[in-house]
Amino acid sequence: MYDFDYYKPASVAEAARLLAAGDSKLLAGGMSLIPSLKMRLNRYSALVDLGAVLDIKGIRRDGNFLVIGAMTPHAVVAASAEVRKILPAIASLAEGIGDPLVRNRGTMGGSMANADPAADYPSAILGLGATVVTHLRQIAGDDFFKGVFETALQAGEIIKEVHFPIPQKAAYTKYRQPASRFALVGVFVSKSADGVRVAVTGAAPSVFRFTAAEAALAKRFDPAALDGITIKPDDLNSDIHASAEYRAHCVVEITRRAVLAAQ
Amino acid sequence: MSLTPKNHHIGQSVRRKEDLRLITGKGRFSDDVNLPGQAYAAMLRSPHAHARIRSIDSRKALAIPGVIAVLTGTDLRADGIKHIPYNVFTLHPAEVQLENTDGTPPFVTPCYSMAIEKARYVGEVVAMVIAQTVDMAKDGAEQIEVDYEVLPAVTATRAAAEPDAPRLWDNAASNVCVDAEVGAKEATAAAFARAAHIARIETWIQRVTGVPMEPRAAVGEYDPATQRYTLHAGSGGSVRLKKDLALILDVAEEKVRVLMDDVGGNFGTRGMIYPEFALTPWAARRIGRPVKWTCERHEAFVSDFQGRDLAVTAELALDADGNFLAMRGSNIGNSGGHTGSFTPLQKGVEIMSSIYRMPCAHFRARSVVSNTVPTRPYRSSGRPEVMFVMERLIDIAARDFGFDRVALRHRNLLKSTELPYTNPFGMLYDSGDYHDAMDKSLTLGDWAGFAARKAEAKQRGKCRGIGMANYVDTATGAPRERAEVTVHPDGRVDVVLGTISNGQGHETSFAQLVTEWLGVPFDSVRLITGDTDIVQVGGGTHSGRSMRMGSVVIWNSAKEIIAKGTRIAARLLENDPSVIQFDNGRFKVQGATPSISLFEVAAAAQRLKDLPDDLRGPLAAFSDESFNEASFPYGCHVCEVEIDPALGTLEIVKYSAVDDVGRAVNPMIIHGQVHGGIAQGVGQALWEQCYYDPASGQPLTGSFIDYAMPRADNFPFFDAEFTEVPCTTHPLGMRPAGEGGTTPALGVVINAVVDALSEFGVKHIEMPATPERIWRAIHDSKNIV
Amino acid sequence: MSGTHKVSMTVNGKTVTGNVEGRTLLVQFLREHLQLTGTHVGCDTSQCGCCTVHLNGNGVKSCAVLALACEDANVVTIEGLANGDKLHPMQEAFREHHGLQCGYCTPGMIMSAVDMVNRNGFELDEKTVRKHLEGNICRCTGYHNIVLAVQAGAAAMKNS
Repeated sequence: MYDFDYYKPASVAEAARLLAAGDSKLLAGGMSLIPSLKMRLNRYSALVDLGAVLDIKGIRRDGNFLVIGAMTPHAVVAASAEVRKILPAIASLAEGIGDPLVRNRGTMGGSMANADPAADYPSAILGLGATVVTHLRQIAGDDFFKGVFETALQAGEIIKEVHFPIPQKAAYTKYRQPASRFALVGVFVSKSADGVRVAVTGAAPSVFRFTAAEAALAKRFDPAALDGITIKPDDLNSDIHASAEYRAHCVVEITRRAVLAAQ
Repeated sequence: MSLTPKNHHIGQSVRRKEDLRLITGKGRFSDDVNLPGQAYAAMLRSPHAHARIRSIDSRKALAIPGVIAVLTGTDLRADGIKHIPYNVFTLHPAEVQLENTDGTPPFVTPCYSMAIEKARYVGEVVAMVIAQTVDMAKDGAEQIEVDYEVLPAVTATRAAAEPDAPRLWDNAASNVCVDAEVGAKEATAAAFARAAHIARIETWIQRVTGVPMEPRAAVGEYDPATQRYTLHAGSGGSVRLKKDLALILDVAEEKVRVLMDDVGGNFGTRGMIYPEFALTPWAARRIGRPVKWTCERHEAFVSDFQGRDLAVTAELALDADGNFLAMRGSNIGNSGGHTGSFTPLQKGVEIMSSIYRMPCAHFRARSVVSNTVPTRPYRSSGRPEVMFVMERLIDIAARDFGFDRVALRHRNLLKSTELPYTNPFGMLYDSGDYHDAMDKSLTLGDWAGFAARKAEAKQRGKCRGIGMANYVDTATGAPRERAEVTVHPDGRVDVVLGTISNGQGHETSFAQLVTEWLGVPFDSVRLITGDTDIVQVGGGTHSGRSMRMGSVVIWNSAKEIIAKGTRIAARLLENDPSVIQFDNGRFKVQGATPSISLFEVAAAAQRLKDLPDDLRGPLAAFSDESFNEASFPYGCHVCEVEIDPALGTLEIVKYSAVDDVGRAVNPMIIHGQVHGGIAQGVGQALWEQCYYDPASGQPLTGSFIDYAMPRADNFPFFDAEFTEVPCTTHPLGMRPAGEGGTTPALGVVINAVVDALSEFGVKHIEMPATPERIWRAIHDSKNIV
Repeated sequence: MSGTHKVSMTVNGKTVTGNVEGRTLLVQFLREHLQLTGTHVGCDTSQCGCCTVHLNGNGVKSCAVLALACEDANVVTIEGLANGDKLHPMQEAFREHHGLQCGYCTPGMIMSAVDMVNRNGFELDEKTVRKHLEGNICRCTGYHNIVLAVQAGAAAMKNS
């Protein structure tokens, strides 16, 4: 690891100030960041640890929204009675991230900002049409993820919380890559008054909406509605764990299972 | 666990002595060693699979604060450091030797601890930086400028054997280093000519790696006053490491000391000397300070020796009744960038026919170099590969020609009355009851009840399959072992032995032997293995040799101690040695009550001035023996899997194992070895592979993010039992137990997977049997239908 | 502010301080500054769990936590689990059930197992144990005896 300065501010405003100086990076749990620093893949002048910024940590219900603070660890989301009651798909998603020790430390905001193509949370952001609230603005979930490890966040912008609309039905089904246990294919489906959303992670360079499936499921929210629906492998990932062709097959099959789980 | 020990004797599941320190964080592993004033090394490794090194410029690196030195292959050669003395073949007299058919000697590459002129795999050490801290050493390594001429690379085994493949060694005619034939060619051809059926397989037992959980580490020291090097590093044996180091450093053996305490796993890939183990003591001499190096996991994936990687084409000839007539084929092993060890090739091809009655056989055995990390024997070196081939061939024959899998095996499996049996390659199987192990395994795995379970699974939309595999495992290894046993008057017994425990619980098992034979308290026994200033002789831990050989030399020593003690006791009890009895640690006159303990006798030996010379002084004995016979553990495993045909995902739902251990010293430890062995075998069958990009030779599995290690949720509980048919070539009847878990696991898992897919007409699936491969097999068969 | 910085925390019940760099990991602080070498490093991608410790009561991978982030924190390592000479029930269970071979992953396994009991209670079925051990890799045991040890250790913790 290259050395860096370390700051642990107590507020978002202070963090934003520190982040503006030099080539600084936010530390929001570090489950991906610290391993990448150990490999010397990145170099920063300072890390600004959000661990002491308590007002962006926590879970609450706000009208028809579940609001999760960016610094809420996955384990807290997974164990939350509130989440389990009003949006159990998010609890089960959080419960499947990494492993129990990673979940104790890793946070939702960290996962989102990192935008790993195989991370779980991005599928929920897209799959529910959530809104991302930063210290500067609100970003529609649909506009947040831009590519491999790329988001709509500007330099120095800090995620504060995410507002997840509470759907009528939702589920997340994950097919794990055998080594990393990240999503080889993960599918978040939801049904609400606004329609059906199907968001797929792990299969492509970035999380995406499976629009053909959404259209079919909008007519009938049932696994059988997906019969005959396919996805082209052309834009999907191909690696030692799965070819694009197999991923294409899995996207449909995992969608089917997610719909079943959401019934 | 129901294995409650009654005492500390042989056959009891005695809880392990070593555990107290390991469960409290007081173990002492290689990286726990720190010496005053030590500097730290970082290795600059080749980023290219194949490249000529035109020049190395270290000036910028040397300017980095804290950097003490940068050393390269040129410095190594200039200092007269020799190449690594790899013993490429096992020369054990019980084993079949591979000789080139054209009479030429095998091509053995000179392997230096750093690349000389050329780098031949990604990860080969190109330079070493020594600095005040690890981070400074890494800073320095980043600043070294190496001018490489990148060359075409070849990684795949069959491709490397082609005459027009990129050539690794300019002075070799090809990448083929060994090209031998074993068995009887003409008789085999004749048998095939009259065969009613011929089963065929072409397969690749893929490249995997050992992954001991403790990364390697080394601390090298040099004392200019005594001109002695000391190396602290965990390995598979201290004495062999010392001898190798002395040759590399070009000094007398007494100028080298090797020390190791706890070793966090070995599995064969950690068993032999590594370049860094020579580089650290050499660097310590150069800079005048101890030098420490600790491997990081990503580094281990390109520098820890890898294993398996065998390309096989094989055929099995049967008569109309299903009797095996002959087998033939070709095996190609892949040595990687250097020829470190041909033993997996050798130890495999000599038992291709397993424990079946096979009138004749003929195989070609080749080994190639390629632009991959060098390979070494990996848990049960060579045998899981060929057991996989044999057991697949039997299932293929059963399917293709209409035989029952169990009946076909029963028909051809050697009966105990046929033993000893010389197999068609010349290996002599001593003893065993193969049918009994197979029957017990089928019972344990409830083979008879499988049809009902399969039907039930079908109701749930799952394809359930069952497989079986018999196996034999040739245990040989470095033949010489020595024990020195000393009884101290203060109630301690020291056992000096040339093995090393890498997790096998030697401190416990060997203490059980001493407790049994000398009747001393279990806690009084101390095992000393990891210091070459004390341990002078011994072959370390590999090929199921530690208990097999250690037991005999300890037994011999114990007998001598009792004999000496009897004479001393006779003197103390004022009687003739012929009437002295030794029982449970005490000597007495037959029929009389007074007795004296072994420790009292030991005290007398040191106290009494008028004893004969051979009895005076410490009560001690040693035994130094060479073991020229192989041992053949065997057994049978049964595995059941359930496949979700929509995704190709798989679950192991049942795994049963029956292994013969001859005579069990500690059943608890044996079961643990079997469990772990199974997991490593299943890991290869289903998940693990070191992937290389075929075009560039870049390794694609560089961390646990891509190398799929078996985890707790991949397995059910195992049903493991053992049988004890005394081994006739071992004085105490013991057979090794450490490799049996792995040996049949590859074959049994794939047999189960193929069975599960039989309804789709799937005939074979390659390892690792990933969900995608399974899905494709189903998918392709549906397309055909 | 580069260079070293003072950090204080409670480790195994004792207040400790040290001077560390920004990049110093908690595991490095434990092993190299405090000589608590029972916490091991088995990988660099936070997968293997050999480095598991308890940080403010939660199991974490100390190879992915900065030492400076643990200012004022309460850390328990394998060395702090026993009560004097009396082993923690989970340690005892690993020995009794042969839940270790080489012992390298063992400290992390035990710390993770205790975290599992803290979260899931004393009665753990096989599936729960295997699932919770997803972040701890063992190469020696095939996990069979580890699972048995964790179940037994959990039950024993109830009575201790």
